[in-house]
Amino acid sequence: MVEYPFEISPMFEGERIRKEGMFVELGGPKSLGLELVRAKPMDEIEDDKVTIVGPDLKDMEEGKTYPWAMIFNIGGELVETDLESVVERRVHDFINYCQGIMHLNQRYDVWMRVSKDTAKKMDSFEPFGKAVMMLFKTELPFIEKMQVTFYTKEEEVKKEMETAKEIFKARDARTKDLHDEDVEVFYGCTLCQSFAPTNVCVVSPDRVSLCGAINWFDGRAAAKVDPEGPQFEIAKGDLLDANTGEYTGVNEIAKKLSSNEFDKIKLHSFFQSPHTSCGCFEVVGFFIPEVDGIGWVNREYQGMAPNGIGFSTMAGQTGGGKQIVGFLGIGVNYFYSPKFIQADGGWNRVVWLPSMLKEKIAETIPAEIIDKIATEKDAEDIQSLKAFLQAKNHPVVTTWAAAEEEEEEEEEEEEEEEVAVTSAPGMMMPSAGFQMPAMASMPMAMPMMSAGKTGGIKITFKKAKISIERMVISEKK
Amino acid sequence: MTKTIAITGKGGTGKTAVSALMIRSLSKKGKSILAVDADADTNLPETLGCDTVKTVGDAKEALQAEITKPRPDNPDMNKESILKSKVYEIIEEMPGYDLLVMGRPEGSGCYCYVNNLLRGIIDKLVMNYEVVIIDAEAGLEHFSRKIIRDIDDLIVVTDASRRGFRTAERIHELVDELGSNIGRIHVVANKVTESNREELVKLAGDLKLNLIGMIPLDHKIEEMDIKGVPLFEIPDDAAAAIEVEKIVQKLGF
Repeated sequence: MVEYPFEISPMFEGERIRKEGMFVELGGPKSLGLELVRAKPMDEIEDDKVTIVGPDLKDMEEGKTYPWAMIFNIGGELVETDLESVVERRVHDFINYCQGIMHLNQRYDVWMRVSKDTAKKMDSFEPFGKAVMMLFKTELPFIEKMQVTFYTKEEEVKKEMETAKEIFKARDARTKDLHDEDVEVFYGCTLCQSFAPTNVCVVSPDRVSLCGAINWFDGRAAAKVDPEGPQFEIAKGDLLDANTGEYTGVNEIAKKLSSNEFDKIKLHSFFQSPHTSCGCFEVVGFFIPEVDGIGWVNREYQGMAPNGIGFSTMAGQTGGGKQIVGFLGIGVNYFYSPKFIQADGGWNRVVWLPSMLKEKIAETIPAEIIDKIATEKDAEDIQSLKAFLQAKNHPVVTTWAAAEEEEEEEEEEEEEEEVAVTSAPGMMMPSAGFQMPAMASMPMAMPMMSAGKTGGIKITFKKAKISIERMVISEKK
Repeated sequence: MTKTIAITGKGGTGKTAVSALMIRSLSKKGKSILAVDADADTNLPETLGCDTVKTVGDAKEALQAEITKPRPDNPDMNKESILKSKVYEIIEEMPGYDLLVMGRPEGSGCYCYVNNLLRGIIDKLVMNYEVVIIDAEAGLEHFSRKIIRDIDDLIVVTDASRRGFRTAERIHELVDELGSNIGRIHVVANKVTESNREELVKLAGDLKLNLIGMIPLDHKIEEMDIKGVPLFEIPDDAAAAIEVEKIVQKLGF
């Protein structure tokens, strides 16, 4: 067992080295700090070697800040370029395990401090480098060989920084190219269950969390650190339907986490067993039956959608961790998913977006459809929306014609289809009162009220066609 | 073990002054201290003589904006480490203590994830110190969101009035509702004069409040306030400083 001049333990992870107790600062807000892990062929690595380019610890002046770069080369039979970022993410953990050394941030924003106590015990960064590599090889045994170079000279750090930025760019491009079919596990998050107890948030490479804050990579990192924590692995299981994004593993977890409220969640579906909506989603989608299209409204948009409702009202009705057919909460990044509601027509089904949202995500909207999607500047109600879509010949318009033809042939069937939203089997009624969000967008006047409070309800249906298989209304006790 | 002391009370009772005086007293004893301003009004830095403006709220907003970018540049970024770095960066390193300002409440959108990260960061951060002194708003919002979890001693500062004592009583109730992990609750009466001293002791007894200190109305404090001298620089022999020293001792220091 090699002896290190400082103690090594996960308990030092949160250690803060104050200015008063600091020997030197490396990188950080006032200087340059870089960390990079590179996969290299085995024969190019001199195992356990620490190289220091520039002043070593003993040559540094107390209380000063120095530029800092550390480049780790790793090798092993299983080591490949794709593992670089996974390994790099642990640099933060392992350096912080070293007593008297504080590490913060990542990539080209690294910030470190060495305490006076630890600086007293060593005059070089060499034992520090060896300790960190020991931790890597112990915790990640697929790393067979490892070497590190520390740079403390500004021009050298700058040079490394430039090269590294290109590497990060290429790495990010690969990351963005990761899809559901490329991975074996998705991640679940239960942070929202505190207020939406049946909410099941499933995060996959092609579907960001509803809040927009957690992507597949965050799930992976969090689940690795604390498998019992709010983010955890979901083995995706067998693919049941690629189009809707239905997996046995996701269905199982949906059943379990919703306490049997739902037995299915289809990741890329809007109408059939859609993802549950927590309440803190960034954007809510709403079906507009009159045009057979879907509109989306973001949290920041203050106005009304063409269905006459604003974000907060829709959010209130959609949230709570239910599958509300006709409404769907999503994170903005889901618009960038190549599988964006692909089960229900994807972008060809999108008919309305607030202009601020449309501008924000313009780059992801297919060129052939972007001008056919209305904003509040083009349409403020159903009628003007209909006219706009017709004028632009939006893809949904063809379904109108088809529906009309069908109507002539088979009146009965059409009737059912038109109200499919409200009568779809398995549709969840929002629990509070009698507010059926799916119905609110139907061509009828339905006063919103809370049953029970005022002692009675009055519902007026105008020109409504409704078929309900089974409906139970019971007195609230 | 870190000892966490939160000081609360409704506006105008002088809770920030009491917080500052306690930090002063403890730093003179050589304790390692983290001072936390958890009041949206952010008066503690000025009272301590620190002109910091950066807050945890700003750090949270910055991270939230970064991670909810429609298309993040780096989907694989280590958000925990970035937020931690931002929080560590805003900690003001004053002689004798560190200062962390919580700042403004969050904007719209979902902060569940960021708050969850922050909880973990603060849990670990506080372990670096012997004492954490929190200047908290009367609504105890940061506690209800469990950003700061455990409190050993909660001090309710009240002015020398019946209404002030009633507020102390209500905070007692609020603490029960929160179900937070709070050890002991104490009351400190501030701006006490010779004429109301006895009456206040009796009132505290009637309301079954644990009165651990009575800070006299100190003209020195008013004078410093008007001149813009930080309260941290109050002389040791000022009546308020002497009483706060006694309170600190009663808390076990």
